[in-house]
Amino acid sequence: MKIYLIVGILACFSAAYADQETLVLVDNLNIRETHSQFFKSLQERGYSLTFKLADDANLVLSKYGEYLYKNLIVFSPAIVEFGGQLDTEAITKFIDDGGNVLMAGNSAAGDVYREIASECGFEMDEESAAVIDHFNYDSLDEGDHTRIVVSPKNLINAPTITGVHNTQPLLFEGTGLILDKDNSLVLPILTADSTAYSYNPKNQVKEYPHAVGRKTVLIAALQARNNARIIFSGSLFFFSDEAFNSPVSKVHGDKVKASLSGNKALAVHLSQWAFGERGQLRVRRVSHHREDDKQTTNTYTITDSVVYRIEIEELKNGKWQPFEANDVQLEFVRIDPFIRTTLKRNPSGVYEAVFKVPDVWGVYQFKVDYDRIGYTRLYHSTQVSVRPLQHTQYERFIPSAYPYYVSAFSMMIGVFLFSFVFLYYKDETPKTKKKVPLLAWKRCVYICKLPPSEVAVKMDPSRRQRTQTKASAEEQALDQIAKEVCYHIYVAELLQLSLSNKLHDYS
Amino acid sequence: MTTLAEPDLGNGRNKPIFNNTTGFSTLITVTVLLLAWLAGFASRLFAVIRFESIIHEFDPWFNYRSTAYMVQHGFYNFLNWFDERAWYPLGRIVGGTVYPGLMITSGSIHWLLHALNIPIHIRDICVFLAPVFSGLTAISTYLLTAELWSRGAGLFAACFIAIVPGYSSRSVAGSYDNEGIAIFALQLTYFLWLRSLKTGSVFWSICTAISYFYMVSAWGGYVFIINLIPLHVFALLIMGRFSQRLFVSYSVFYIVGLLLSMQIPFVGFQPIRTSEHMAASGVFALLMAVGALQYLHSLNPKGQWKKLLIVGGLMAAGLVFLMVVFLTYIGVIAPWSGRFYSLWDTAYAKIHIPIIASVSEHQPTTWSSFFFDLHVLVCTFPVGLWYCVKNINDERVFVTLYALSAVYFAGVMVRLMLTLTPVVCVLSGIAFSILLDLLLRDDDLPTAPVEPNDKNLYDKAGKVKKRAPEPTSQADFGLGMNVRSGALIAFMILLMLFSVHCTWATSNAYSSPSIVLASYGNDGSRKILDDFREAYGWLSQNTAEDARIMSWWDYGYQIAGMGNRTTLVDNNTWNNSHIALVGKAMASNETAAYDIMTMLDVDYVLVIFGGAIGYSGDDINKFIWMVRIAEGEHPKDIHEADYFTEKGEYRVDSEASKTMLNCLMYKLSYYRYDSGGSPPGYDRTRGALPGNRGFKLTYLEEAYTTEHWLVRIYRLFEMFITSVPTDSVVYDFLTVLAKRIENFMMIAAGCGSRLS
Repeated sequence: MKIYLIVGILACFSAAYADQETLVLVDNLNIRETHSQFFKSLQERGYSLTFKLADDANLVLSKYGEYLYKNLIVFSPAIVEFGGQLDTEAITKFIDDGGNVLMAGNSAAGDVYREIASECGFEMDEESAAVIDHFNYDSLDEGDHTRIVVSPKNLINAPTITGVHNTQPLLFEGTGLILDKDNSLVLPILTADSTAYSYNPKNQVKEYPHAVGRKTVLIAALQARNNARIIFSGSLFFFSDEAFNSPVSKVHGDKVKASLSGNKALAVHLSQWAFGERGQLRVRRVSHHREDDKQTTNTYTITDSVVYRIEIEELKNGKWQPFEANDVQLEFVRIDPFIRTTLKRNPSGVYEAVFKVPDVWGVYQFKVDYDRIGYTRLYHSTQVSVRPLQHTQYERFIPSAYPYYVSAFSMMIGVFLFSFVFLYYKDETPKTKKKVPLLAWKRCVYICKLPPSEVAVKMDPSRRQRTQTKASAEEQALDQIAKEVCYHIYVAELLQLSLSNKLHDYS
Repeated sequence: MTTLAEPDLGNGRNKPIFNNTTGFSTLITVTVLLLAWLAGFASRLFAVIRFESIIHEFDPWFNYRSTAYMVQHGFYNFLNWFDERAWYPLGRIVGGTVYPGLMITSGSIHWLLHALNIPIHIRDICVFLAPVFSGLTAISTYLLTAELWSRGAGLFAACFIAIVPGYSSRSVAGSYDNEGIAIFALQLTYFLWLRSLKTGSVFWSICTAISYFYMVSAWGGYVFIINLIPLHVFALLIMGRFSQRLFVSYSVFYIVGLLLSMQIPFVGFQPIRTSEHMAASGVFALLMAVGALQYLHSLNPKGQWKKLLIVGGLMAAGLVFLMVVFLTYIGVIAPWSGRFYSLWDTAYAKIHIPIIASVSEHQPTTWSSFFFDLHVLVCTFPVGLWYCVKNINDERVFVTLYALSAVYFAGVMVRLMLTLTPVVCVLSGIAFSILLDLLLRDDDLPTAPVEPNDKNLYDKAGKVKKRAPEPTSQADFGLGMNVRSGALIAFMILLMLFSVHCTWATSNAYSSPSIVLASYGNDGSRKILDDFREAYGWLSQNTAEDARIMSWWDYGYQIAGMGNRTTLVDNNTWNNSHIALVGKAMASNETAAYDIMTMLDVDYVLVIFGGAIGYSGDDINKFIWMVRIAEGEHPKDIHEADYFTEKGEYRVDSEASKTMLNCLMYKLSYYRYDSGGSPPGYDRTRGALPGNRGFKLTYLEEAYTTEHWLVRIYRLFEMFITSVPTDSVVYDFLTVLAKRIENFMMIAAGCGSRLS
């Protein structure tokens, strides 16, 4: 037991340790000095930084299919081509496999930067172009108005990425970025003011600049669907000690002055977010069951009431703690969502929804897709089947059918009674004879005058029918006679009828 | 009469056989029927002997799967079975969408045998059910024919139906389908109907209704019965053959049969709500009206009443018809379903319902298949029909109508050849019986050794007691002994050829399990191609338990039955739009297909490709139907004409249209294909070299290809939806890539404009 514990703890440590492995690519090792504060803050937080020249011939990101680093910092704008096995494709794959990248360039950055940027959905302005703002430059600017002062108001409203207390103005010197509109995953972290534009400061402006005003993005970020995070800054200067330490004083406009720029706070925050120290969410537990039944099941019946619970945790200060939000939604999906509802947060930190399963059967998924700026994309789906009612679950007696029940049972009773009447009632032959109508009576009189056998044939049509098939020659002959006789009777009757009618008419 | 119709074993047992013709004839009858049963059973075993005891084709796999489910979980669970593995994500209520007669039959046989401590696997019962039932069919055909004509004719008919290819095509061992037991139920119902009509007894009518109930539970073809019997009644009314017997038998049968048929969940309220069943109700109403008028007539059987009877009957018929039309119009009764409508208008399905037209067994029948399935019977059956019409009575009206309607339906659809076969056997049995009767008239001694002779003799023996007089043609009196024996020999040869043909056709054409293929080398050696089971086995062993497999609907049942995986569409083609969606995915290019597939949570795609071995029933050959079905639902996205060349040809080589060469089905079929002889990559089925080769797949990767390339399985590249939320940026990467190229073009254009 103890051994397991120790091994487990060791595994945790090693895992944690692996998470902190960071490769820093630099143009020259001098950057280690000029950006020492930034690196120091990283090291203080437990990252182990490996500094390498970007054109080092032995550069590798992975060995035997395993990545050596979790994070990559690229501070080498002067690079033309990476050394070793590193190139744009390798970095893209690194991101695809979940690695985090922090890149900073400047106006001199080369094509490698552009390639990587466009892989991630940004566009870097042309070489030697820099962001110029004639209204918001720092007093220490050298005349090109490229050392600009950016208000923290231009930051994206995402405290998880930028931190909460960004009140100090920010110093920036470098290229502008443009975002790909179609890529919904890209975030503009910091944009320039409306008076800024991006162009080569040494040249006269002859063409419309690529990035103008607020569209000029200074720092951009991307959170991929696999939760790899990328920060791309147009300015390496932004992370430097110089920028961290220098006071800010704007020459024009509101003449903002600050004894210290806000760069350090922001840079630290950005690195924290980029390397996954903040904004990490995970699903701890999911459970669902019928409202009246505590047992978890994978099969529901239509119109069941279902309780769905999900526990979400956030990484805070290195610890997983319950996540607090009021906008987590649950969808109940069969190709399209049939139900979409907001999960309510219990005091205990469990998100819960109670809803009625739709009256449509099929295979559904409980889906929680929580996608907020700065947070991990939280996606969880559970497949369940919704089945129709079983043959025992239908209602047996519905009120609207009572008339039919009554009719069915009354019919049954009626038939029962009638069967007695049918079986035991006997026709009394004399009585029926009295009921013969007048015309038939008259006919009887005629028939009575005929010989008895013929009368029998005539009087009994059912007998005729029965005997038809078996009729012997004799019977057939008799029948023939009977038919003729009948015909005569018929004619006579008609005559009589017409006569009597006429008589009646006359009288 | 009753002793004749029922071949009761005990009847003549204690009496000296040769002195008692009834006993002897019964013995012969029973022997012949047993032999017919045996012959029918044996001739259906080719598939088992050649291959193995295995379920065949497509639908039988579903029937087998549900039977196994029923045996395992019990009847009520089967009735309530909601199958979430079929029609993902819609699911299927199996209990309510299936004719359970087949499963119940084999389930009860299984139960019975196990109760007797005979441990037999349910699969073996399923495999051998149809051959066993062919014997029962023979017996019920005997009964039907004996009821119609004579026992001798009955024996002929029983022998014919036992081996005729038109019936054995659907009932060989392993062909575990509804038709296997339904033909028995059909014949039995008709026999009982004629018996009840003849006797006018309530008992036989109820027997008819119960047999009809079994038929309803077994096969959708029960609609044939519930239309043919009313048609018979109607014809009898028209012919003035109304009788109390007719009145009693039909009203009892209709009411009890209606109530019983509504007990099958799949049928439910259809008998009172759909047009297909309205003929029965209409005739019932009409019969009541005629019965009432007849009663009035019987009170006073005089001339003007007769007129009233006719006029009243006509008016009642018209009223009933108008009522049905009116109810259909206001929507109480559902109009004819497309499947039935296509029986009247043969071009209807082709235009409106491609999914019906796409099934090979729904094609019109060719002349050759009439001969192939019926052989000499197709020539002799008009003779029997003629004799029936000539010596008409109530029952023979029925068989005439049966023959005429069955011939019509068999001409419309190959599949309905099956309903024609029994009546052809019956009428041919009658024809042969009459012919031999004529030819052997002089032979009075009941000692002829040849089997047909026997039949003929007992035909005569039975005939003595027949109520209806046998046809006595005057023409044969002039025939000499030589002519007679010559003709006799000729007929014997015909019958011999018939049985040879039957055996040959059953063995060669109808005994292939179609999931195991066999090819024959030049030296006659046999090679088994077991690719289907190889692929399904791979699926069941190497994919996740809940993996969703997309394939064309033909293979749905097999994937579920053998691979035990979730399918999107299957052979129960109840949802056309879902099938059309799959068809659209197959017919679209990779990108569009990927969107559809992710929407449907597809994990694997399975295609059948026969190019390497020249198997013509593969997906590329079926593909045009996928396009048509998809076009029916998505006319904006899919156009059939795009898949043909400009000349209107369906090709796969370099002449083929661009859409064709880039659609998913094409790519999945020909991806990495380099087999099939010289040059490598030659498609032996289409006899062409594929026009698009050496391409790469962007969204899918090959997961498995069977030995002969017959089944190819692809995995969707990086699944977005898994239980663990680890998605990738691949998709974004691709859009970015496309965007990048676009940007590059823009920049290039910009550079160009800058230069100028």
